[in-house]
Amino acid sequence: MKILRVLLRIEWLKAVRRRAFWVAVAAFTAFTSLPVIERVRGAHSNPNAVFALPESWPVVLGTAGIGPLFIAALMILLVAQEFSWRTARQNVIDGLSKERFYAGKVMLLAGLVLLFTSAPVLIGVGGTMLSPGEGGPGFIRASDFGYISGLVLGMLLFGSAGLMLSVHLRSSGASLGILFLYLFVEEGVAMLMLGTGRESLRNVAEFLPFNVVEDLGDDLVHYPDVLAEVNAERAEAGLAPLEFLDVEMLAVAALAYTAFFLGLSLLNMRRRDL
Amino acid sequence: MHAIQTLDLTKRYGSRPAKSVLAVDRISFAVEQGQVFGFLGPNGSGKTTTIGMLVGTIKPTDGSFKLFGASGPKGLFGARARVGATLETPNFYPYMSGRDNLRVAAAVKGVGQPRIGECLDLVGLSNRAKHRFKTYSLGMKQRLALAATMLNDPELIVLDEPANGLDPQGIREIREIIHILADRGKTIFLSSHLLAEVERTCSHVAIIRKGRIVTWGAVADVVGEGSAVLLRADDTEALADSMEAYPDATSVRRTDDGLVATLDSGDLASVTRYLAGNGIYLSHLAPYRPSLEEVFIDVTQGAVDSMTEIVS
Ligand SMILES: Nc1ncnc2c1ncn2[C@@H]1O[C@H](COP(=O)(O)OP(=O)(O)O)[C@@H](O)[C@H]1O
Ligand SMILES: [Mg+2]
Repeated sequence: MKILRVLLRIEWLKAVRRRAFWVAVAAFTAFTSLPVIERVRGAHSNPNAVFALPESWPVVLGTAGIGPLFIAALMILLVAQEFSWRTARQNVIDGLSKERFYAGKVMLLAGLVLLFTSAPVLIGVGGTMLSPGEGGPGFIRASDFGYISGLVLGMLLFGSAGLMLSVHLRSSGASLGILFLYLFVEEGVAMLMLGTGRESLRNVAEFLPFNVVEDLGDDLVHYPDVLAEVNAERAEAGLAPLEFLDVEMLAVAALAYTAFFLGLSLLNMRRRDL
Repeated sequence: MHAIQTLDLTKRYGSRPAKSVLAVDRISFAVEQGQVFGFLGPNGSGKTTTIGMLVGTIKPTDGSFKLFGASGPKGLFGARARVGATLETPNFYPYMSGRDNLRVAAAVKGVGQPRIGECLDLVGLSNRAKHRFKTYSLGMKQRLALAATMLNDPELIVLDEPANGLDPQGIREIREIIHILADRGKTIFLSSHLLAEVERTCSHVAIIRKGRIVTWGAVADVVGEGSAVLLRADDTEALADSMEAYPDATSVRRTDDGLVATLDSGDLASVTRYLAGNGIYLSHLAPYRPSLEEVFIDVTQGAVDSMTEIVS
């Protein structure tokens, strides 16, 4: 138990002294606040436009879909440079085992996800308090909760991918480069696979990591009524209806990717000299 | 008790035979508690690799070692709590202040905050402790590294080239701190490619070259190894020619003082008889105590490439 406190303390020190950390937190907070601020101002001028939880969760969470990318980038900055600065090596010399160093980084990931989840939640609560008008009963509905969980899973997946890249490449530049290159390539490959119209390839494309994260952060996946509306409009316009994998399937896929990336990182940490 | 004991410790980087590097080759030596032990060798001879294995960041390929008599992953993990070490350059978070860097190290070592101030005082960094590490001069960085190794009041302090890149003033500061620590009874193991540094600071030395230990022991013994004599005669050229042909002489070297010859045996009478037989009459013959540098040239067979690093 004491070791958990130690790991928490050192990862905390490493993060809060880092300017990039605060820049990322500020940017994400600003980005997620914008639509809420707009809605709240609208509610003040127009009595019909209400901003209130739980109905307004989709507004709050919509922009939080960028969270996973922020987490991945932050993980890379806070992990990869420990290798280029050789501070990972020094931590181990000072008495942290490689496994504990790794455990500290997993705790960092958990902390970042918690922070990047609480930010939009607090913004939503704040907006509701500042906005005139009342929302429906309750604070959160099952589908809102599903949406938040989807974002959390997306952050875990991308964050663990960032950890894995950092541990393997030991360079933040290379890790960020590979991450964005991968996202770009996956988009293209998925398009090609879907373009063939073959059912098996289509299934594979759906399960690619970036797609899983995108879908988990998509309100259409979490709100069936919104999806039905959209599909009705599409039908009118003569377009095929949108289809998504089940949320459960997406969640299992995200957890499996996360476990895979975390496992690979640990193996690599153990195997290589520092 | 031995603070450090290695047995055939070996490290090969890379698994493919064609590309792999045998950085450390079956080295065995021992450091007693209380010694100031110099690990001397040219760049690339395997010093950092050896220390990396001792401190647990590099996995040995073969062989074994003990710290305070402990071996095995568990034993070593426990023994390392009694060790403070730095490897290669001072490794710190550039964006954090000196003090915050020590906070991280202290948390890892499970040491309370008061120690941080004490260690900063010891290395004379208290007035710059709030400044970011990246603004420090190299000398300050090295001293912060020393402060960090001192945090847990270790019994064994391992320093990898602590004087590297420092100006004479910086080197003197580091040397003074090392002397203070030695006086407090700490065991110190320091690597260096600077002979003069080791000669001034250390009681014991191991000389490593191309991953192999060439010789090791008390500095006095290493220096006294082999029996060297200083010879002078009117005709230095003839003297040198004769000595080079003398079967018992393992090395012959001209110095400003005269000719220094290392002999297999200490039989000086035979030398005078042999030289007289060649028509050379000595004006001076005396045992000669070489410097560590000269020993180094001897044991490395005058390898010119490594010498340029050693004496620089
Ligand atoms: N990570 C590594 N991978 C491959 N070779 C290495 C690695 N680290 C060191 N070496 C090689 O091992 C040898 C010993 O290096 P090192 O232990 O750093 O020597 P020193 O500290 O005495 O300068 C050198 O030939 C060096 O090039
Ligand atoms: Mg070195």
